[in-house]
Parts: sequence; structure tokens; C-alpha cells
Amino acid sequence: MTDSEIIKLILKGDKEKFRMLVEQYQQMVFRTCMGFLHNKDDADDLTQEVFIQAYQSLSRFKGEAAFSTWLYRIAVNASLNKVRKSSKNLILQRIDAIFGTEKTKELPFLPSDMKNPESILIRQEHVEWIRRALESLPENQRTAIVLSKYDDLSQKEIAEIMNTTEGAVEALLQRAKKNLREKLSAHGKNK
Amino acid sequence: MNCQLCQKELDAYREGKLPGDMMTQVESHLRACETCSGIYRLQVLADKVIDQEIEIESDPFLATRIMAGIDNLKGSGYEPANVFIRVLKPVLGTALMVAAIFFGIMLGNLSQPVTDRERIPVELALIDDAAIESVNIFSND
Repeated sequence: MTDSEIIKLILKGDKEKFRMLVEQYQQMVFRTCMGFLHNKDDADDLTQEVFIQAYQSLSRFKGEAAFSTWLYRIAVNASLNKVRKSSKNLILQRIDAIFGTEKTKELPFLPSDMKNPESILIRQEHVEWIRRALESLPENQRTAIVLSKYDDLSQKEIAEIMNTTEGAVEALLQRAKKNLREKLSAHGKNK
Repeated sequence: MNCQLCQKELDAYREGKLPGDMMTQVESHLRACETCSGIYRLQVLADKVIDQEIEIESDPFLATRIMAGIDNLKGSGYEPANVFIRVLKPVLGTALMVAAIFFGIMLGNLSQPVTDRERIPVELALIDDAAIESVNIFSND
């Protein structure tokens, strides 16, 4: 059964068919959310919000683009909104961090080859820094890099989701990579 | 090869997109230069961070959570009843309100006293007993 056939059935009242779309696209939406949020629990919650939002707006889906493209757009917008809200709370979080009330973030990136606690700490610091470098990119560059690296989409697909041209996406990706390279170089030189 | 050129080519080097001789030059520069090799390690780590995040699986019960969330929505579903609620109800409400206002005006007009007796045609005025006969004739005065 195709996506558009499933959507027709849902719009006729067969709500349970939406589960088929969820099961097919949940990992895709989750990966996109993860690319923006870098936290599994937050990405799970946002994926849930994205699908509920998609269900509520399903009658407005015209079928001009693929359902996945439409879903990506919702996921990207929801992620950017979430990030904007989070950055507003950043000052409060920093105050918490200064006074030591914030719990240290658990990092699931501990490779087996790193037995030395000092190396682990250094690596965790780098990982946190890399995430911040990604977060510091302008929204459109960040969207392009997330869709390219996390979702492994082609420039054509990214252009369709971002409602722009392939050339613009190529330029965005180059600028994003340059920005990241510069940030990593500056960090690397300081270390 | 200098550091600037090496750092510029690091992306292509990591992706294996450099021509053979350039690959060798970058490799030998990385072996000799600690700054560039540090940056390179950081870039490799950045790729690993992304790869590890990609591998994380979503909550296995996410679909159930989503469907439960949809069930809890007020007026969830796309049943015809919902079309009635969303479209026909406001239309019907507005129509009823307009009808109520119209009948209100009609009723208001009906209860007004007739003051323009002059406009009653002569033929009808003859039938109008109240206009012909005065109640005064029945009084003793």
C-alpha cells in the first residue's frame, strides 16, 4: 500500500492506519531530531510531537511532494523551534552550571579503547565541543548539514525539503563545512 | 605543503577524494605537523560523533506512544462527524442566529400599535365598526 493510499484511508476515518506511517518513518524523523538536539530522550519526545502534528495537519497534505519530504519539513521546523526555545533557557542553564546545580550530561560515547580516565574526560570534552560547534552554525547551514550527514540525503532532496535550489544547498553545505573546519581548527590550536 | 593548504584539503582527504600525489603530501604533512594532525583527529572525532548519533535507535515503544497521543487528542480522527463539527456546526449556528434576528424584528413590528388610520381605504373603513360607531352613544350623556 502506498503512502497516499494510507493517507486516504486515514482521512476517511481509519485512524489506526497512521501506525503504518509511524513505523515506516519514525527512525527517519528521530535521526533528524537527533541531529538538532543530540539527546536521545529529547529526540524521542520531539519525534512524538512531529507525528502528532503531522496527523493533525494530514488533511492539508496536498500530495504535491512526497510524504517523506513533507514529514522532513515538519521535523526540521519542530527541531528548529525546540532549539530556539532551548537557547533562550541557555543563560539559566549556565547559571545552574556555575553554581553546580546542573547534572553532568551523560555521554554515551565511551570507546572501548579508552581505558585512561583522563583520556575519557578529554574525549568527552571534545565531543561536547563538537556538538556546540554544530549548534553554533546558522539555522539554514545547520539544517543542510543535518539532512546531509544524519539523513544521508542528496542535494536535490535537501533542496526540495528546504524549498530552495540545489546550487543554494551546495553553497550552504560548503559554508557549513568551512565554518565547522574553522571552529575545529581554532579549538585544535587551543588544545 | 603548508598548514593552510593541508587544512583546506582535510575534508577531501578524509573522504578519500584527493588525487594520489595530493593524498601523499597531506599524509606526510600530517605526520610532521602536530597542529594539523590535532585538527585532523578532531575532525575524525566529529565524524564519529555524528556516526554514533546516527546509530542510536529510537524508543521501541514510540509508535505506541504516538498512537496513544493521537487517541488522547480532543476530536481526533477524520470521521464525517468531525467534518460536521468543524464545518457545518458554525455555518448552522450563524444561520440560526440570522433567523433569530429576523424573526425578532418581525415580532417587534407586529406588536406596534396601528396609528395610521387615514391610510385605511374607505371600503375597509366601513367594515371597521369601531371607526363608525362611537362608544359614547351607549353612555347616558
